[in-house]
Amino acid sequence: MTYGCHQPPLFVAVCRTGTWLLFALSLFSGATVKATENPREVIERTADAVLAVLRDTSLTSDEKRRRIEDIASNRFDFDTVAKLVLARNWKRLSPEQQARFVQEFRKHLSLTYGRNVDQYSDERAEVTGERQEADGDWTVKTRIVRPQGGEPVLVDYRLRKFGDQWKVIDVIIEGTSLVANFRSQFQEIVSRDGPEKLLQLLEEKNSRGEPLGQVPGRKS
Amino acid sequence: MKQAFLRRCCLRISIAGLFFLRAGLVFAQEYDPWQRFNRAMFTFNDTIDTYALEPVAKAWDRIVPERVEQSVTNLFQNVYTPLVAINNVLQGKPHHAAEDVARFMANSTFGLFGLFDVASHWGLEKHDEDFGQTLAVWGVPAGPYLVLPFVGPSSPRDAVGYAVDSVATVYWFFADIRFTIGPQTVQVVNSRAQALDAVRELKTASVDYYAAVRNAYLQRRARQIKDQQENAGPDEELYRIEE
Repeated sequence: MTYGCHQPPLFVAVCRTGTWLLFALSLFSGATVKATENPREVIERTADAVLAVLRDTSLTSDEKRRRIEDIASNRFDFDTVAKLVLARNWKRLSPEQQARFVQEFRKHLSLTYGRNVDQYSDERAEVTGERQEADGDWTVKTRIVRPQGGEPVLVDYRLRKFGDQWKVIDVIIEGTSLVANFRSQFQEIVSRDGPEKLLQLLEEKNSRGEPLGQVPGRKS
Repeated sequence: MKQAFLRRCCLRISIAGLFFLRAGLVFAQEYDPWQRFNRAMFTFNDTIDTYALEPVAKAWDRIVPERVEQSVTNLFQNVYTPLVAINNVLQGKPHHAAEDVARFMANSTFGLFGLFDVASHWGLEKHDEDFGQTLAVWGVPAGPYLVLPFVGPSSPRDAVGYAVDSVATVYWFFADIRFTIGPQTVQVVNSRAQALDAVRELKTASVDYYAAVRNAYLQRRARQIKDQQENAGPDEELYRIEE
């Protein structure tokens, strides 16, 4: 504004570029600050963010679900979750099937757990501890306390470092690992009927958006 | 000479076979050779649950306030505490057993016959033991996964444990089985009422409900037996990506 309609002198242009660069750098450093979060901070901030969405009465259920999905996609490494769930069967899938599996499995998780956004009733989450695992992963232990009383629910998160960021690769609720549970469900289907059958079942279930119950076409 | 050599070879092969079998079992993760029977039993139980137990539990849940439900749970947990203490003694954990006895005394008096779990507020830790776990600590293997009618997920070892626990409870606290049916019904309905959401969630979240329940049961059992609620996670093998 100072220069009116004149062309800005070169140094101003340089300075402006500098400002942009600075801005970009600050964004970048902002990103690196975020990246150096330790596993505990990752879980604390994620829990805070999710609780803020759940408590926000101005949001509709759909908006809540979408926002939580966004938070989850930043904090989970769904590729790794998918690989761990399929274990040695992962290699039996073609790259195209692998991509479909990651997508459908993710959709399945968000459909089933997204349903719960309306059941929220003032629960609080608190981190109770953390430990390093033998392979370098970290486990952050939390518990969900319900205001109505009753026993708190113990939820552990397993995190792995990707580049600079710690991402969640398993959720262990009351000692039951989500990865292990899905692995045991999928292992049988894949080894008996092949990977295409599993994808088909997942797609079918997701498109209906409701439980399948018993798997059809069972031998017994 | 030749015979001895052959015999040694056979022995080696059979040992190798044993290892192979073992490796196979570990690889398969879940030992369920009776799956045909189990799936049938599971469907039977699920049908009974859907048409009888769940509706009753839903009605109970609607009528009874959550605090009262919790008190009913406390009451039954208190009744079983002496049994937990005995199992702790049998597992060689006298400190836990002493804590259980203290819990039982505190909750039976100050906790109004166990309606309120005052012992936990006083820092006396609750333990989760049964005779199936005691057998496991003694080295009895679980055997194959087994779904029992009406009871649900189990194993030959846990079925024996369950039977021993039931008999012990009945003879210890009640004179006649006629008096136990009422309370036991209340207990079953009440605990089913508290699991309404959890069961619905597992049904929705699973692609194969049978396998999901089996896995949840086996994981929970392994954790109970290990008794290390604080510092044991799932097996490390679970998190290795095979390249």
